[in-house]
Amino acid sequence: MPGFKFSNRTAEEREKLFISLYKNAFPVVARYVNKMGGTFDEAKDVFQDSLVIYYEKSVECSFELKTNEKAYLLGIAKHLWLKQHRDNSKLTPIDGLEIESEETAQASDKKVLNFLQTAGKKCMDLLRSFYYDGLQLADAAELFGFSGVRSATVQKYKCLEKVRETVKQKALTYEDFVD
Amino acid sequence: MIETEQIEAHLMRRSEPGDQLVFEARLLLESELHEKVQWQQEAYRMVRLYGRDQLKQEIEAVHQKLFSQKEHTSFSQKIRRLFTNR
Repeated sequence: MPGFKFSNRTAEEREKLFISLYKNAFPVVARYVNKMGGTFDEAKDVFQDSLVIYYEKSVECSFELKTNEKAYLLGIAKHLWLKQHRDNSKLTPIDGLEIESEETAQASDKKVLNFLQTAGKKCMDLLRSFYYDGLQLADAAELFGFSGVRSATVQKYKCLEKVRETVKQKALTYEDFVD
Repeated sequence: MIETEQIEAHLMRRSEPGDQLVFEARLLLESELHEKVQWQQEAYRMVRLYGRDQLKQEIEAVHQKLFSQKEHTSFSQKIRRLFTNR
């Protein structure tokens, strides 16, 4: 099984990754935003969104951009900046760089997320490692202290069933409040 | 659990062609299964939203660290200076 091209298995590894990306690429992004008349907070926002896109793309394609991560992050940041400032919203998506709108949390999603977070954080963290961070079973088994791949698989599906049931119940409950 | 696994294989297009055919036939016949597939899809979406939410918090924590801790002062000053020397 192919391993990870960049280490994002644990929170500590991700922190190291983001510190290095920040130090490497935030200066050029900040300079760009400044040149365009933006503020420090705007530079921060656009850079953080770029990091999320960078991270999700790396997981999705398991690619490594060590040599030109700076250029890549600046490219995403420029695109996001122009998109926000050119005509405020209706720009055609380019190359799947957007954070897809269907992935943007709606108010009702937030309620469900809050519930899932309080009622089953352990399950959500396990599922996140599979479906968001793209961890392999063996890595997840080790990280979450399972005796092996089999028990990690069992737990993964148990959690998924729990979340599926919760999502369904909540959707049916909230439906009552929709007028 | 086997069913949940089958639904996942179906949604992520990982089933063997033969299994896929059987599963699609079942979907047409069993409305309960059809419903489960939809809720499972919604569950994945929630997990991804959760993942992104958590990741944003981790990134923000890194930002706070870089712009408050002494060991990163030269970095943070370099950035701040950009925005003060207009």
